[in-house]
Amino acid sequence: MVMRNRAAWLPWALPSIVLVTVFFLAPFLLNVRFAFSSWTSFRAEITWNGLENFRTLIDQDLLANAVTVTVLYAILCMAIQNTVSLSLALALQRTSRINTVFRSAFFLPTLISPLAAGYIWRGLLAPDGAVNSFLGIEWAWLGEPSTALAVVAFIDAWKWSGLITLVYIAGLNSIPKSLLESATVDGAGPWTRFRRVVFPMLAPALTFNVAVTLVGALSAYDVIAATTGGGPGDHTRALNVVMRQQWGQGFFGSASALGFTVTLLVIATAVPLVWWLRRREVAG
Amino acid sequence: MRAPSRLLGSAIGAVLALSLSGCGSSAPEGTGQVKLTLWHNSADPAPLLEMYKKFEKQSGHKIELISIPSDGFEDTTQTKWATGDRPDILEYHATASGLLALNPAENLRDLTGEAYIARSGDLYQSAGAVNGKVYAAITGFPQVFGLYYNKKVFTAAGLTPPTNFAELAATCPKLKAAGVTPVFESGGSIWPVQILPILYLAGANQSNAYGKAIAGHSSTLADAGSPFVAGLTAYAKLQADGCFNKDIVTAKFEDSMKALVTGKAAMVAQHSDMLPALLAAAGGDQKTVDESVGFVGLSSDKPLVTYAPGPIGTFYLPKTGDAAREKASLDFVRFMTGPAYAEYINASKTFPVFTDVPNPQGVSSVLQDVKKAYDTGAVIAFNSDIPGMGGLAQLMSELIAGQKDPQKAATQLQGQVEQAAKAAGLPGW
Repeated sequence: MVMRNRAAWLPWALPSIVLVTVFFLAPFLLNVRFAFSSWTSFRAEITWNGLENFRTLIDQDLLANAVTVTVLYAILCMAIQNTVSLSLALALQRTSRINTVFRSAFFLPTLISPLAAGYIWRGLLAPDGAVNSFLGIEWAWLGEPSTALAVVAFIDAWKWSGLITLVYIAGLNSIPKSLLESATVDGAGPWTRFRRVVFPMLAPALTFNVAVTLVGALSAYDVIAATTGGGPGDHTRALNVVMRQQWGQGFFGSASALGFTVTLLVIATAVPLVWWLRRREVAG
Repeated sequence: MRAPSRLLGSAIGAVLALSLSGCGSSAPEGTGQVKLTLWHNSADPAPLLEMYKKFEKQSGHKIELISIPSDGFEDTTQTKWATGDRPDILEYHATASGLLALNPAENLRDLTGEAYIARSGDLYQSAGAVNGKVYAAITGFPQVFGLYYNKKVFTAAGLTPPTNFAELAATCPKLKAAGVTPVFESGGSIWPVQILPILYLAGANQSNAYGKAIAGHSSTLADAGSPFVAGLTAYAKLQADGCFNKDIVTAKFEDSMKALVTGKAAMVAQHSDMLPALLAAAGGDQKTVDESVGFVGLSSDKPLVTYAPGPIGTFYLPKTGDAAREKASLDFVRFMTGPAYAEYINASKTFPVFTDVPNPQGVSSVLQDVKKAYDTGAVIAFNSDIPGMGGLAQLMSELIAGQKDPQKAATQLQGQVEQAAKAAGLPGW
């Protein structure tokens, strides 16, 4: 029985297994040694140097800040994207002509290149840009330490919320109508219906969206590069931004160490998170 | 089920074969003409691009230009370089620090003995060479760093442009009172904010004394009361005194050029290769630039300009192992440094680096200012020979944001220098 199930399952999983192996697992395993090597552009020899790259990054005050910024940024992106997308999904759930127009409008930013999105928003949020003109204020949204990280996270959310909304809409549409009708007959109001029926039934969509937004933001680079370049100071200097800077200075071993840190962070976050969310689905 | 699989396999095979067949050199067989790849800076001026075309016409070889954006030029070049990809000709910095990061002994062809070197005066004493071997062919006049200033603004305020930091600090409040931003800094582009501290250090770096002391490890950037810490302190004081534009963190380099030309800002610290950008900010009107913009040297205490051999027109020949292409790329260097060079100088209206080529006619007044300041007193940038200084601009961002004080920034940068100097195997580390 088990063998038959496996035989049936394998052809469907094979493309994914091949893709993950070729484009993730193999490069990761082949390159992980560079994180522990003396690889620089200054000489040809590459030797094993243990944890020296990590020590250097810590000594230069780069690692701890980059990890903190990355984690904060990921949490902000995940929270903003899921809150906005769930609200939009609830508002646009019904299939009607006007809702289709709005769904398309909110989905459009997903199709724009992240760098282009960053450049557009950098222009809009400049001290003499359109946003400040509209609000009648003078504020360097991307230049003030207090707002820069949140604003970049907002731009990332603007870029991806359309996609996350679609997943939530699919989740909402898969909830049996009879269940909602029964809850209504039992006297449940809109809020109780959402809390007791809709939200628990959305668990699979929530698992997917939370995992995707969090993991995606942990490897953030493009939007940050296009908007703040890591500034002001090091307030938006996420791991991949520092990695690029180290790489640009020819410190390839240190850059690889930062890349390895991103991978560890993604695995350490994604595996327990998905495990917990899946358990929640079963419990629900 | 089997037939479609075979069909699919054959199709994939055919596509792979076709795509692989297009990957090799596209040299037409039997003609001796080859295709050369040239990684070049996107800021290459039109006359230089024209020289590439002239070489193609004269030699019959083809040049495939791979443009590297001037914003983030070093990062992007290093990233491409690190993949093992090599062009036939590389346009890159001529400073020892830039050159060391290419691991020249391993990767670049030794050009020592080429005729242009003897015609370049003592240029290769301070640029394009490592351990007595010349790797670069420098055709561009060094980047001359100093203070661009708006002549009309200074005339209206009854002031003369400052040539040392004390004068700069004293000029600030007067310009502010006149409603002008004294110095426009563009932290949004990151790299420009390191220029003022580098200018400050010219005073301590005559004959490259300070640079040599740091590179040789007889001094460190973080020594108590070091010139470097003093330079950062002077910068921080200018910022605290409100000498810079309010949008220092987000403003881009292009904004600084525009602010200078329009008179919104009185001064911008920049280098001479940015004159085309200045012209672009003036809508391409050279007359406007000449009427409104001047250039002076500035250091801690004297009117000195700082120079650094720049990437524009500096060529290296990476080892590729392909004899035909290596011969053609050497022909390119000989063409760029040969008789056609005088034409290039006349077309570009820049100054020659070869002693036997005369200065061009009709040079813009601002470039004449640059040359005058250079001839009066020029000091090589202190960081030219020090590897690992690439982090200076990022640290300046942190200094501007108030996250680091000058001493802390100096200590951190010294750590990066140590990391690079050890990797490069410099004596004394």
